[in-house]
Amino acid sequence: MILFCMILVPLIPFIAVLAIGYYHFKTSIETSTLATMNRIVEDHRQMIDGFLKERRGDLGFILNTNSYVDLTEPERFYALFAQLQRYSNAFVDLGVFDQDGIHVMYQGPYRLVGIDYGKEEWFRHVLSEGYYISDIFLGFRRIPHFVIALKREEAGKTWVIRATIDTYVFNELVEKVRIGKTGEAYILNTEGVFQTARRSGGSLLAKDPDDVHESKPHQGVRTFIRKDARGDECVFATTWLQEKGWMLVVRQETADALKALRSATFMIVVIMILGGVTIAILAYTVTRQIIRRMQRMDVEKQQLGKQLVRATRLAELGQMAAGFAHEINNPLQIMKSDRALMEMIFSDLKKRGDVREEDVKDLEETLDQLKLQIERCSKITQAILEFGRKSEPTKQDVDVGEFISHLTSMIAEKASVQGIRVKKEISEQTPLLRADPAQLQQVFLNLFNNAIDAITERHGCEGGELSIQAGPDTDERVRISVRDNGAGISPDNLKKIFAPFFTTKPPGKGTGLGLYVCFGIIEGMGGNMEVESQRGVGTTFIVHLPASRAGQTECEPKES
Amino acid sequence: MDKMRMMLVDDEEGFLSTTKKLLERKGVQVTTASSGHEALEKLAGESVHVVILDVKMPGMDGVAVLKAVKSRYPLVQVVMLTGHGTVDSAMEGLRSGATDYLMKPIDIDELIAKAEEAFVRWQIMEEKIRIAEGKTPEKK
Repeated sequence: MILFCMILVPLIPFIAVLAIGYYHFKTSIETSTLATMNRIVEDHRQMIDGFLKERRGDLGFILNTNSYVDLTEPERFYALFAQLQRYSNAFVDLGVFDQDGIHVMYQGPYRLVGIDYGKEEWFRHVLSEGYYISDIFLGFRRIPHFVIALKREEAGKTWVIRATIDTYVFNELVEKVRIGKTGEAYILNTEGVFQTARRSGGSLLAKDPDDVHESKPHQGVRTFIRKDARGDECVFATTWLQEKGWMLVVRQETADALKALRSATFMIVVIMILGGVTIAILAYTVTRQIIRRMQRMDVEKQQLGKQLVRATRLAELGQMAAGFAHEINNPLQIMKSDRALMEMIFSDLKKRGDVREEDVKDLEETLDQLKLQIERCSKITQAILEFGRKSEPTKQDVDVGEFISHLTSMIAEKASVQGIRVKKEISEQTPLLRADPAQLQQVFLNLFNNAIDAITERHGCEGGELSIQAGPDTDERVRISVRDNGAGISPDNLKKIFAPFFTTKPPGKGTGLGLYVCFGIIEGMGGNMEVESQRGVGTTFIVHLPASRAGQTECEPKES
Repeated sequence: MDKMRMMLVDDEEGFLSTTKKLLERKGVQVTTASSGHEALEKLAGESVHVVILDVKMPGMDGVAVLKAVKSRYPLVQVVMLTGHGTVDSAMEGLRSGATDYLMKPIDIDELIAKAEEAFVRWQIMEEKIRIAEGKTPEKK
């Protein structure tokens, strides 16, 4: 669930940015492509219109500067044609017709004089309109061509002059338009028949398979995207010529026209995949880290909770024990007094000789035993009450190295008797401690004695090792550990180790209060105490204590 | 010279009776009281040199009794008897005029020794007062 969110949240803006960017880029590319097409089609229309206008002007000039008589005079006519061809090599031939459509004069590659054109469509047009440009047609000569014809009326007489335009030259003009790989231009008449050949298939005078023609001319340029006959999507731009009812078409395959868009699309897809994968990987790693940290925190919280419960329990036990010790103290006092009274009476009896000799010894032993046991009880209550006492310890700066040396010298004798090697590793960086030296001594002597007991339990009098390490701890504290290679403590016992009256020693050997009191002292100093142990390997007690604020550096200890 | 007269104040009857017997066998004159009130009543009627006073008692507690005794009979020496947990109140007792304190459980010989010390102090004080009083009538 978290992973899903972690992926989704960055992915949404990421994809949104890409999509918006793509949309705007696409729009702008399409607009600019269409604008380019528009410009091209418009430019070419002007060029073609210009061409037609010029040719018409050429003919008009001849018609207006020569009378019918002038034109029908062969010498003059031939000279005029030669002059015309000098203007433009597009002119193939030139002819003059009388009002009935009879070909009166002709100059060109064919023999057309005398043919009657009176019934031809173009002739009737020119008579009524005065000016006519034909579609491309085959005509009598079975060659594609188109004609420009003009009429002149003077003194009741009408005549027509007609010129044929080389379709090759005209074709060239239109065909040379090239845009990109597939961009091309061609002309359609009102029936949708090719007036120029198309590069991508479509010969002259064939019907346009794309079917983009319109029967009525429109103003300006129209652009649209449509599938062509082969099913390829193309961008079309169309405009109508002014000189003639022809439509100029510029066409380009969309894929070609929008090539930039295609590569942009490709890039966007690549970015999307790479970005998506990166986001997913990042989300996965980050989520895993977060989850791991949360789990660790949970574990720590649980441990902390357990520690708290244990500490509270210890405190409760301590209070209970203190109350108990106090209550025991009074009966002990009475027992002690009574025993003293008994002893006194007994000694009086003994003096008077009222007791039998054999009883004297037994009674004396019993009284001694009573004294011993009462003292034992009283020691226990004293130890408990010691723990509960909130007396002010006299704190001072303690040099850990000196302190440990002093302590080890105290146990050196005992250790060497038991064949125990004592090792010390005191780091030079160990800060000074702030504590009551007497209390500290009580704690560490207790730990040392426990260690020696554990070692002798396992090794007897040979091969024991007790090692004491000290060094700086985190949070301006000092860490002192006492490690033995003794018998070790079972996990069950380890849990109860700091509880009062817990002991594994035989009855009468230990009170079960030593570590309990140590724990209380260390807590009272603002430190804490841990234990690690493994059966058959050894035990380590670790004590963390606050460092003296003055003793951060290893300067001379303050003696006060 | 007077023989020391001691008063033992404790709420534990068992302790009182046994200790009384013990002390008497050792030749010490002793009276007992099982509460602060009883102790003050008996002090009014008897002459006592040293009071052994338990700190922790129901009703009137040791320190209160001490203050009352000291205000009424400044010459009487009081030794506080404390359990381990009541050392602090023993200290308060010392500040309020107690001569000494004893930690429970006590040894009878230790008790007698402390009482004798206190009695010596009583004697010194008494001597001083006697001399002071003795001088005044001579001048008259």
